[in-house]
Amino acid sequence: MARRALPLTGAHGRRSRRGDVVGMSVLTVLLVAFPFLAPPSVTNVGVYALIYALAALGLSLLMGLAGQVSLGQAGFFAIGAYTQAVLVTRYETNPVLASVAAVTVTMTVALLVGLPLLRLRGHYLALATLGFGIIVTVLATESEFLGATSGIFGVPKPQFNARTYDSTTEYFLLLVPVVLLGLLLARNVVESRIGRALGAVNDSEVAAESLGVDTFRLRVQVFVLSAAFASVAGTAFAHWLGVINPNAANFPLSVSFLLMAVLGGVGTVYGAVVGAFAVEGLDDGLRRLIPELVPGAVGEVQLIGFGILLTVIMIFLPGGLHQLWTTARRRLSGSDLAAGGAPPDGGPAPAPDDGPLLARESRAPAGTPLLEVQGLTKRFGGVTAVDDLDLTVHAGEIVALIGPNGAGKTTAFNMVSGAVVPTAGTVTVAGTRVEGRKPHVAARAGATRTFQNLQIFGSATVLGNVMVGRHLRSRAGLVGAALVLPARREERAVEASARELLDLLGLGPDADRLAVDLPFGRQRLVEVARALALEPDLLLLDEPMAGLSGAERRDLARLLRRLRAGGMAIVLVEHDVEAVLALADRVAVLEDGVRIALGTPDQVRHDPAVIAAYLGVDPEDSTAVAVAEAGPGEAR
Amino acid sequence: MVDLLQLVFAGLSQGAVYALIAIGFVAVFTVSGVINLAQGEFAALAGLVAISAAGSGLPLPAAAVVAVASVAVVAVLMERLAIAPVKRMTTLVSLILTLGVSTGLKALMLLVYGPNAEGLTPITPGGVTVGGVSIRYQELWILAVAGLVALAVYWFYERTLAGKALRACAEQPVAARLVGISLGRASLTAFLIAGCVGAVAGVLASPVYFTSWESGLTLGLKGFVAATLGGLVSVRGAVLGGLLLGVLENLTAGYVSTGLRDAVAFLLLIIVLVARPSGVFGRHAEARV
Amino acid sequence: MSLEVRGLAAGYGRLEVLHGVDLDAGEGQLVAVIGANGAGKTTLLRALSGLVPATAGTVRLAGVDVTGSGPERLARAGLAHVPENRLVFPTLTVEDNLVLGAYTRRRQPAAERTRVRDRALALFPRLQPRLQQAAGTLSGGEQQMLAIARGLMAQPRVLVLDEPSVGLAPRLVGEIFTALGRLRDDGLTLVAVEQNARAAFAVADSVSVMDRGRVVLHGDAATLATDPRVTAAFLGGGVSAEATDASDGRH
Repeated sequence: MARRALPLTGAHGRRSRRGDVVGMSVLTVLLVAFPFLAPPSVTNVGVYALIYALAALGLSLLMGLAGQVSLGQAGFFAIGAYTQAVLVTRYETNPVLASVAAVTVTMTVALLVGLPLLRLRGHYLALATLGFGIIVTVLATESEFLGATSGIFGVPKPQFNARTYDSTTEYFLLLVPVVLLGLLLARNVVESRIGRALGAVNDSEVAAESLGVDTFRLRVQVFVLSAAFASVAGTAFAHWLGVINPNAANFPLSVSFLLMAVLGGVGTVYGAVVGAFAVEGLDDGLRRLIPELVPGAVGEVQLIGFGILLTVIMIFLPGGLHQLWTTARRRLSGSDLAAGGAPPDGGPAPAPDDGPLLARESRAPAGTPLLEVQGLTKRFGGVTAVDDLDLTVHAGEIVALIGPNGAGKTTAFNMVSGAVVPTAGTVTVAGTRVEGRKPHVAARAGATRTFQNLQIFGSATVLGNVMVGRHLRSRAGLVGAALVLPARREERAVEASARELLDLLGLGPDADRLAVDLPFGRQRLVEVARALALEPDLLLLDEPMAGLSGAERRDLARLLRRLRAGGMAIVLVEHDVEAVLALADRVAVLEDGVRIALGTPDQVRHDPAVIAAYLGVDPEDSTAVAVAEAGPGEAR
Repeated sequence: MVDLLQLVFAGLSQGAVYALIAIGFVAVFTVSGVINLAQGEFAALAGLVAISAAGSGLPLPAAAVVAVASVAVVAVLMERLAIAPVKRMTTLVSLILTLGVSTGLKALMLLVYGPNAEGLTPITPGGVTVGGVSIRYQELWILAVAGLVALAVYWFYERTLAGKALRACAEQPVAARLVGISLGRASLTAFLIAGCVGAVAGVLASPVYFTSWESGLTLGLKGFVAATLGGLVSVRGAVLGGLLLGVLENLTAGYVSTGLRDAVAFLLLIIVLVARPSGVFGRHAEARV
Repeated sequence: MSLEVRGLAAGYGRLEVLHGVDLDAGEGQLVAVIGANGAGKTTLLRALSGLVPATAGTVRLAGVDVTGSGPERLARAGLAHVPENRLVFPTLTVEDNLVLGAYTRRRQPAAERTRVRDRALALFPRLQPRLQQAAGTLSGGEQQMLAIARGLMAQPRVLVLDEPSVGLAPRLVGEIFTALGRLRDDGLTLVAVEQNARAAFAVADSVSVMDRGRVVLHGDAATLATDPRVTAAFLGGGVSAEATDASDGRH
């Protein structure tokens, strides 16, 4: 489900940008023609579909981009509707001004609610938003000011230029531009730097953070945006129905929003509109059909269709109607998506020379301490995984961290990169203290990492992966992205620099393929490219050699040497001791969380404590025990 | 003082209902990682089945057995048809899936039993006043039966091989498979337990709180709040969470406002989730059951 | 042969970790599989017990082809896997952990299960006084003993162990390997994956050295114990290529 249906990359983006123009035009024609072709009763259903489409669109963004389920979308819908109703009926505010106020109020509430709630994950967030929706219902019911159970009456149909939009056709046509504008904004957000970063968060949160993405901040932003969509829908709803009561915040309404988003395909912008029409049509149809089939059926019987639909979609079509559409299109056009030049799997050719790579004027001169680790300690319960580790890494050197299984290498590494909070000690990256902070803080200080078990962004292309790496080197925010123009030029620059980097690493031919379609070794290289896109001063590599073939290992080693020559500092945790001893300038050996040796590869190779740590100590062999116990003292 | 006692007593009996539903959440969540949003519907369905069975002339205990048995079948079918076929059960999928089942069950109840809320005949009608606190006999029944069922579930997890196997699946699924326990069967058993405890809760609650096709929503949510208060991993926590929630709700209704009763539960949920995700009674987020 | 593995390949998603491994363990033999981190030892065991599906090759257990069976079936067929990091059930008592170890034998007469349990406890007397303690409160060494005892409760033909000595004090390593030796002497077939090469050599009958998903050296423990290529396989230093050649010569 985490898979987003829209491609994220500039390359696909450009292709889909043309598609979007076509799509938007077709949709505009269809929507404008709808009220003239459909009988009034159907147009009435269409009005609700358009209204709900906006709320569903917001939810679809939240689920698709931020990967969060909200079961309280109707709560924001109701806040928008109530604010509008109060302003228009009590204070005779101009409806347009009122709706601006309504959206502002809703967004403020969403921000206040989101700040604590978005610290929760998964089930907990979903249930907490459900709780929020119910609290809104209860407060509306209890508030005399809001008319308690009967609600607020007499919200007039909107008037513009002395023209009242009170027929279904007129109201429908009034809503069409609003919905189209909403679609456009949503599309822009999905395609933007922010959308790309959120997509990355969805695929791998820790990897996105290591590239400098502040996930919490983005989540809150999307949550607020999603609430804004719901609130616009709420204001439109208030004017159309003329009455607003606590039912507007009702749970079943949140469920229909969810159904619309899921049916259309989570994260797809058009899907929400299609889903809204489908669900409203189904709702209307079932309301008529079921009482005919089951005499005496009254009430919300159409819900049975919703229930079955939700279940069936989740089991058989988790991508919603959008998934049907893309599958059908792929069938029609054959397998040409993979075309675009079948890239050579065998011989990548990163420029054959061995010159320095990615050197920069601004980089600290070789020998400057970039990473300083002092007294770093991690205890899990009673177990000390890392014990009082000291390590300094300078610009322009490769330092390796090795040790037997369970020695604490990975824990130490994760504390440096911010994935694990240390029990004690400090980690300083280029003068910034980063211990215990989220990985994006270290990224800002110029340190990023790769992962042992690949954390590739599976829903993006190779280029898309690398563009996420440019997150910190670009600036467009949510608003800029939604309004497109300011962000366009930057997007082009980001894409160009990403392509340049891919060419440099020999990944150019693969740029437009989905990253998950690459062979393992190339995926690993994509991770390195993604990390390099950040322009780091300190590169942290977690078992970069694991799973690579001999040739791939040699290529990677050469790449790392060239980066070192360019002034970068590199720290790697590695199982492949042979490769490490050949590559690193200095090697630190951990055993049981303690640094038992630190020195050049040659010193380490002949250190008796290291040999004992690797081969194990024969319990009967007391001299070996003695060596092992004496070893750490000597090494320090 | 009498007021307070009265409210606390009413809260305990209501809390006992929440506690049973909370046990259902815990049973399923620990084994399959799914928050079953249809848990409340299990209770509502049992109430309605019992009412209609009793209405068609069955004696009360028989009606109760019919209700529990039919809900158990529904729960097992749900696991086989909706949960087991899913290969990659993410949070999003599990939520929407169980929401779908919940919505479908709700509508089915509406179709079959109509929109009106009804109450089952109490096991023993009437009540008694003790020191100014009026007690309905049905409330005593709730406390007694819920207590027995909770004890039985506790005994199952602590003393029987099948129960220990479920705990093993919850704590170390890989090791559980290695000793030969089938995770699929464990999930089925968990849903069976959830169905049974939910159904008992529904039958018990019906005479006092009435049952309609919609009552599952609130019951389910309150049960979830109770389970979360207890850390979502232990039967004991679920029971304590249920009782605490019941009492708090009744105190709010008594001293602040009846209408705010529902808001309290969810406010509490949000506060607990944000401040103490391992629950009020939980120590760590370890799987215990 | 109690366990006969031919050309076994397995991995995770796109990453193939095992590239065609052969392994034989005769009845009453203790086979040690050693190798550096990331050599594929754990994946080998996971593929043997069905936790990771094999993508090629066959596994025969006492002559029966069990390739592709899930762990539940393999447990019943007589293969017990003592997993990496022990994975005892932490809130259950030591006794209950043992009871669950015999899950596949739950229809056996209770007396038979008690006999097996007593034998396991005789092997690890430290567990006896802790039977009613929650397994999570045991020390690392005791948890390892419990994990082995739990595996024995299934009355397996073949017991495979993943790094039984990791993180343990040398004295405990000795204790555990002594116990494994006794089990072998009683006729059980054992396959132990080990980091601690010296401890493994001390008790094993034969040793396979793995590197990068392949068995690069194989032979009886006494011969290999002094072979410099073993050290090379752990610490590198350019001998690895020779080692590969040697193993090619063997096959």
